Amino acid sequence: MIPLEFVLMISSVLFVIGAAGVILKKNAIMILMSIEIMLNAANINLVAFSSYFGDATGQGFALFSIGIAAAEVTIGLAILLNLNKLRKTVNVDDINLLRW
Amino acid sequence: MDILEFAWLIPVLPLLAFVIVGFLGSKMKDKGGIVALAGVGGGMVLALWTAFELLTTGRIYRANQDWVVLSSEYTLEMGIYLDNVAAMMLIVVSLISFLVVVYSLGYMHDQGPRRHRYFTEICLFVGVMLGLVLANNFFQMFVFWELVGLCSYLLIGFWYERPAAARAAKKAFLVTRVGDVMFMVGLFILFTELRTFNYESVWGMLDSADPTMMAFAAFFLFGGAIGKSAQFPLHDWLPDAMEGPTTVSALIHAATMVNAGVYLVARSFPIIATSAEVSLFVGAIGGITAFVAATMALCAPKIKGVLAYSTVSQLGYMILGLGAGAFLWHHGHHVAASVAFGAGLFHLMNHAFFKGQLFLGAGAVIHFVHTEELAKMGGLGKYMKVSMITMLISCLSIAGIPPLSGFWSKDEVLAMTFEAGDAGLTFMVLWILGVLTAFMTAFYMFRMWFMVFKGQPNEGTKHATEHGGHKHEAPVSMLLPLVVLAALAFGSGFSLFIGDGFFGAIYYDHAHVLSIGERLTEVFTSPLTYISIVAAVSGIMLAYFSFNKTKVSAEKVVSKGFPKAMHQLLLDRYKFPVAYDKIGYVGVYGTSLLLDKFDRYVIDGIVNGISAFLIKSGGVVRKLQNGFVQSYATLLLIGVSFIMILLYVVGVLR
Repeated sequence: MIPLEFVLMISSVLFVIGAAGVILKKNAIMILMSIEIMLNAANINLVAFSSYFGDATGQGFALFSIGIAAAEVTIGLAILLNLNKLRKTVNVDDINLLRW
Repeated sequence: MDILEFAWLIPVLPLLAFVIVGFLGSKMKDKGGIVALAGVGGGMVLALWTAFELLTTGRIYRANQDWVVLSSEYTLEMGIYLDNVAAMMLIVVSLISFLVVVYSLGYMHDQGPRRHRYFTEICLFVGVMLGLVLANNFFQMFVFWELVGLCSYLLIGFWYERPAAARAAKKAFLVTRVGDVMFMVGLFILFTELRTFNYESVWGMLDSADPTMMAFAAFFLFGGAIGKSAQFPLHDWLPDAMEGPTTVSALIHAATMVNAGVYLVARSFPIIATSAEVSLFVGAIGGITAFVAATMALCAPKIKGVLAYSTVSQLGYMILGLGAGAFLWHHGHHVAASVAFGAGLFHLMNHAFFKGQLFLGAGAVIHFVHTEELAKMGGLGKYMKVSMITMLISCLSIAGIPPLSGFWSKDEVLAMTFEAGDAGLTFMVLWILGVLTAFMTAFYMFRMWFMVFKGQPNEGTKHATEHGGHKHEAPVSMLLPLVVLAALAFGSGFSLFIGDGFFGAIYYDHAHVLSIGERLTEVFTSPLTYISIVAAVSGIMLAYFSFNKTKVSAEKVVSKGFPKAMHQLLLDRYKFPVAYDKIGYVGVYGTSLLLDKFDRYVIDGIVNGISAFLIKSGGVVRKLQNGFVQSYATLLLIGVSFIMILLYVVGVLR
C-alpha cells in the first residue's frame, strides 16, 4: 500500500503545476488545460482520502467531479471558440475589455 | 330635554356655516351673509340657553371621551366642561359675535365678492372661539387657541394687498406665536408632571404636585396669555391689528382673540395661585400693561388706535385682578381671592360690551367720514346722533362713572389690588398705577369722543357732508348692534344685583354672596371708590377743557421741552416696534445667519468630505480592475494563500 503522504505530495505537485499554468500561460486553451490539472489534483486527493479512511463517499465525489469537469470544459471551449471567431485570438493578454 | 346635552352644537353651528359659506357662498347673492348670520345666530341662541341653564341651576356639565390614547398612562381627551365661568364666556362671545355679524351685513356691503371670504372666516373665528370656551382640558384649548390665532391672521390681513395690513397680520401671528410656544412648554410640564390636561384633574392634583414644577407650568401658561391677550411686552401686535376691517377689530378686541388669554389665566388660576412669585408676576404684568398702554393711548392719532391701546390697557386690568386674586389666595385670603377672580372676569364681560360698542361705533364713524385720523373729524355729532349717544354711554362706562358697568368692575379690581397690597407691597404700587390708568382712561376716551363728535368740523367731516347724499347715518343693521351693546354697556354692571350677584355665580371656591344693600354699602363706604371716581371725573374734565373748550391747548403743551420728547416717545410706542424689529433682525436673523454658516461649512463640509474621500480612494483602488483575468487569478491565489498561512500561524488549522 502506498502511504498517504506520497499521494498527497503528487497531488500537491500537480496542483501547483496547474496553478502556475493558469497564472503564467497566455494561451486560453492552455489555461483551460491547467484548470483541468488542478481539478484532477483535487480528485486524486479525494480518492486517496477515500481509501485511507475506507469510506466510498470520496470516490463517489471524485466521479461527480470528473463529470462536472467535463461539462465545464465544454462550456469553456465553446466560449473560446466564440472568442476566436470574434477577435481572432485566444491570447488572454489581448482580452481586457471588462475593466475600469 | 336637557339643553346641556346639546352644548356641543354651540361651536358646530358656526362651523357648519363656515363650511357652507366656504363652499357655496360665492354663488349666493349676498355672498353667504345670511348663512353666516343663521349659523352664528343659532350658536348664540343655543349658547344663551345653555348659559341660562347653567347660571340658574348652578350645575357643572362634564362630557369627555378619549381622543388620542398613547398608552394607558398618556391619554389625550376631548370633552366639554361647562361651569359658570364658561357660561359667562359663552354669553359674551356668542352675543357680541352675533351682533358683529349683523353689523357686518351693513358695514361690508360695498366689498363685493370679498364678502365671501369675510363671512367664511368670521364663521370659523366664532366657531373655534366657542370651541375654546367649551374645552375641558388645556390641550383641547390649545388646539382651538391656535385656530383662533390663524383666524386672526386671516382677518387682520383681510385687505392683504395693502402692505400695512399684510405686515400687521404677519406681526400678529408671529408675536402671538412667542406666547404660544410658552403655552406649549407649559403644557409639556403639566403633562409630564400630572399625566393629564383635564381642568378638574389638574386642579385636584395641585396639592400633591411638585410646587416648583407647578410654578414653572403656571409661568409658561401665563406666557401664552401674554401673547394672546397682548400683555406687556408682547402687546405691540394689537395696535397694528387695526389694519383689518373695523368689525374684525371689534371681534378680536371684544369677543374672541384677546379674551382667550384672560380665559386661559382664569382656567389656570389654581395653578398660578400655588406660587406667590408667579401670582405677583401675573399681577405686575397686568398693572404695567394697563399703565403703559394707557399712556400710549393719550396721544394716538387714529380713532382705532385709541381703542386698541385702550383694549390693551383694560386687558391689563383683568390680568391685574386675576393676579391679585391668585396672590390673595396664596396668602390665605380666600374670600377676597374669589372676589378678585370674579372681578377680573367681570371686567372681561363689561369690557367686551363697551369695547365692542366702541369699535362698532368707530366703524360707523369711519364709514361716514372715510378716514381714521381724529384730527380730520370733529363736529360729527350733528350728523350721527345715535352713534354719538351710544358711544358716550360706552365712554362713560369705560371711564368708570357710576352706575355704568365699567365702574363696578374696575372699582372691584382696584379694591382687590389694594387689598392684596396688605400682603405684598408690590400690589400697592400696582394699585397706584391702576388709579393713574383710570384717570388716563377717562381722559383719552373723552379726548377721542370730543374730537370726533364735538368742535369744529375738519376736512374729513366737510368732505363727507358737502358732497351730498351722504348725510344719513349708518343703516339699521349697523345701528341696531350699537344700541344693543350700548344698553349692555350701561346695564351689564347690574348683574351684580341679580340673584346671588356676579360674584355669587363666578367665583373660585368661595362664593361671595352679598345682598344689594350690603353690596352698595361696601362699595360706597370705601374711600377707594371715591378715589377712582375722582380720577375718572378729573380725566373727563381735563379732556373737556382741552378738546372741547380748548382752554388748555394740547398742542401748546407738547410743543417743546420734555412734554414734546414724551409725546414723540408715545407716538413711537416707546420704540417697541423698533425694538421688535431689532430683536427680529439682530437676534433672530443674526442667529439664522450663524446657523446658516454652520450648516454650510461644518455640516456640509463633513458630508462632502466623506464623499470626496470615498471618490478619491475609489479612484485609486479601481486601477486594480484592469480587465486581465490572470491578474485577478493571481490576486486570488495570493489572497487565499495568505489567509491559509495566517490561519495556520494563528493555529486554527493545526
